[in-house]
Amino acid sequence: MTTTVKLNKNGTKNNPVLAFWQKHKNDLIPPLVGVIGFLLLWEMTSHLPGMRLPGPSSLFTDERTRILLLYPFYDRGGLDKGLFWQTMASLGRVAQGYSLAAIVGISVGILVGTQPFLDKALDPIFQFLRMVAPLAWVPIALVALQQNHPAAIFVIFITSVWPILINTTEGVKQIPQDYINVQKVLQLSKTKFFFKILLPSALPYIFTGLRIGIGLAWLAIIAAEIVMSGIVGIGFFIWDAYQQNYISEIILAVIYIGAIGLILDRAIAYLQKLIAPGQ
Amino acid sequence: MSVFVAVDSIDKVFPLSGGGEYIALKGINLEIKKGEFISLIGHSGCGKSTLLNMIAGLDLPTEGIVTLEGKMVKQPGPERMVIFQNYSLLPWLTVRQNIALAVDEVMSGYPAEERKQIIEEHIDLVGLRHAVDKYPNQISGGMRQRVAIGRALAIRPKLLLLDEPFGALDALTRGNLQEQLMQICDRYQITAVMVTHDVDEAVLLSDRIVMLTNGPKSKIGGILTVDIPRPRQRMEVVNHPSYYSLRSEIIYFLNQQKRIKKLRAKKTETIARHGLEKVNLELGFVPLTACAPVVIAQEKGFFAKHGLDEVSLVRETSWRGIVDGIAGGYLDAAQMPAGMPTWLTAGGNQEQPLPVVTALTMTRNGNGITLAKHFYDKGIHNAQALSRMLLESTDKPHTFGMVHPSSMHNILLRYWLAAGGMDPDRDVHLQTIPPAQMVADLKAGSIDGYCVGEPWNLRAAMEGVGFTVATDLEVWNGHPGKVLGVREDWANKYPNTHVALVKALLEASQYCADSAHHQEICQILASRQYLSTNVEYIQLGDPQNITCSLETPMREYAHHRFFGEGMNRPSRTEHLWMMTQMARWGEIPFPRNWVEILERVCRVSVFSTAARELGITDIKYRREPIKLFDGIPFDAEDPISYLNHLKIKHDFTMAEITLDTRPLIAA
Repeated sequence: MTTTVKLNKNGTKNNPVLAFWQKHKNDLIPPLVGVIGFLLLWEMTSHLPGMRLPGPSSLFTDERTRILLLYPFYDRGGLDKGLFWQTMASLGRVAQGYSLAAIVGISVGILVGTQPFLDKALDPIFQFLRMVAPLAWVPIALVALQQNHPAAIFVIFITSVWPILINTTEGVKQIPQDYINVQKVLQLSKTKFFFKILLPSALPYIFTGLRIGIGLAWLAIIAAEIVMSGIVGIGFFIWDAYQQNYISEIILAVIYIGAIGLILDRAIAYLQKLIAPGQ
Repeated sequence: MSVFVAVDSIDKVFPLSGGGEYIALKGINLEIKKGEFISLIGHSGCGKSTLLNMIAGLDLPTEGIVTLEGKMVKQPGPERMVIFQNYSLLPWLTVRQNIALAVDEVMSGYPAEERKQIIEEHIDLVGLRHAVDKYPNQISGGMRQRVAIGRALAIRPKLLLLDEPFGALDALTRGNLQEQLMQICDRYQITAVMVTHDVDEAVLLSDRIVMLTNGPKSKIGGILTVDIPRPRQRMEVVNHPSYYSLRSEIIYFLNQQKRIKKLRAKKTETIARHGLEKVNLELGFVPLTACAPVVIAQEKGFFAKHGLDEVSLVRETSWRGIVDGIAGGYLDAAQMPAGMPTWLTAGGNQEQPLPVVTALTMTRNGNGITLAKHFYDKGIHNAQALSRMLLESTDKPHTFGMVHPSSMHNILLRYWLAAGGMDPDRDVHLQTIPPAQMVADLKAGSIDGYCVGEPWNLRAAMEGVGFTVATDLEVWNGHPGKVLGVREDWANKYPNTHVALVKALLEASQYCADSAHHQEICQILASRQYLSTNVEYIQLGDPQNITCSLETPMREYAHHRFFGEGMNRPSRTEHLWMMTQMARWGEIPFPRNWVEILERVCRVSVFSTAARELGITDIKYRREPIKLFDGIPFDAEDPISYLNHLKIKHDFTMAEITLDTRPLIAA
């Protein structure tokens, strides 16, 4: 009796995949069911008469799309590049615009948060500009900057700077009275207050702003590229595919966009964990 | 010692959002000596934290100044370090870093090596060596507060300010931390001010306890000095004789504040009806058998019969509550110990003469002196034996309980002791204890005996914890027990109400005196809203009957007398005698204008009117001398030489007592 039990135990232990599945199956089954169900439904709908949207299987069945799917790294010069390069071009713009937004947003946010006068003076302007949609900035940017590239960066910047700025301001204003009291009683110097209390205390707010900002930046770049024709980037890739009626390519690009957005958000969250642990 | 911190006539006014202002604190004066531990206690919203913040400099007073060593406090600073209730640690710094932040900033003049040593020393001081690299959210609340204490002490503040430091902790942790804090404070002679709402914490830690009244316009309602010697142990202080009296003093104060708040909210308006100026009366009483007339007047409708149809009885647990109620104007009238009107009028209460009049003596007798059982076992059956025993054993102080300085119990107990050759202040210790607490204290052994009204003598005897060593019959048979007292300005303002009140109570007294009603009265008195006791402890009866069959010595039980010839009319001679006794023991100065005082205290006219209107014409003034058991004659014409003839007494003072009737019931 005992030997059999032992064998069984060893059997499960020797198979890590099975062990993992045993442990996490309750967490894994529902999302898998959801995703597969969704894809099946989609596939079935696509076969309905009169439906022009292809199903998910078209990613393999359509030849152009299959090439794009299987060879993301090809580069035939000009605009004809693999999806990896298209994505990298977009990401590069985001990196530039977003970095600028983070630098400006955080520093202006701290300034505004610590100066009640500035806060009162600038708040209505911020709240107003915040409401302007990314696409509305595109023509203004193109007119003002004349060229595609700086205009795209400007659009990313102007879209993502507001949540960063406003959250930073709020974080600085919301420093708990307790910490202010500590500063007052100990009479901490300005620099020490800034680095030991103000910044750490505002960090969770700043990161919330950064996470909202990166999401908006990624949304903005797709929109901006669609409008700015003739550049390498996943946004224009979609527009191009639409013009040429390669619908399954659009679907593939959309999957890319969603995945990248998710990764960007996770990356900022990871960064927050790294910089401000436990907050 | 010189003044270290001075809070000088501080006011604090907060502007309200809707315009107007809120006066949080008004006229706060406090002087703190070096090395003293002060607690601020009061209900929430009484401004105790505001006061602490002003000492810290986190908030500035609207009027007045705070000084530390003569220098005015204008802003917060590390020499007045604050320990906040929610610890105020920086969550992104470890335990060590939190302490280091303070030390490095405040002690920047010290070399780095020394600073490091101070940091490590204080980590050890609060016992956090094992958690030194943990973040605040990784450690328990108690540990966090220890970090805060370590941080505060590390920068060597001149004054430590604690804002409900242990409020958020569980009882066990709180106790441990209190003890640690106390040890540290003792060792380093730290001057500290602590805000707390925990009575036991205040008594345990403090040298003085400052009690704040409720806002708006909070002020210092009283300062208690804690005379428990240091070092104190949490488990041992409870055995110190002062502990419970301090504790009950604070609790009494806090309860009183709560009641005042309630009364303020109630907003009483004077209701005039039936030709009476005021029919809604708040009538104070203390639950004793002697409160029978008051209770019966209410229960049997005598108040309503005389037009007072909105009388509510206010039960006070101690006579002090009656004093505060009358002085504070929220009691219209009250049952009082016989000496209280004179005592109040002569300035016994906080040396503020408060004219109070009495127009009715409600009870006589009903008191006794009880000694603990162990005296009986030692063969001490009278004052002489007690005196011999006390003089022989001077090592252990003997404590006796009485209910109020102005009560007949105090006066008779002192007289009895003095007649037995004992100085009631030097040979024994007399302590004021609420009546209902006497038996419990006797049982616990914290007092050796007491003099109190029934049912508490009978109860001690029936429970076997004490025995009645003397009753009224052996001290002064027929002495006045409880009287009706009202403020003089009240009596002048509501003369008809006063007469109606006396009429109702006089009739109630008459009702109580009829033995046919005794069973019923006992039942009523024993109920929850009055004495809340077992009915067998309440005895009413013919005072000459031997009903109390205690074991030997067989005692005649001194029953209350409620009504009869010469019983109810206020007697100036009696009040004069009580006046001499209170002066004898230094409770009041003997008034040079004693004739005037007596004239004003005894409202015989109101009594006569009431009796006449009731048709009780056979109540005559009994002109007979006071007969006490020792036979010393009392000459009502010459009280001063009587006082001088008494052997055991204090150095009594004589003073002119100026009475000015203040317009008080204005609100």
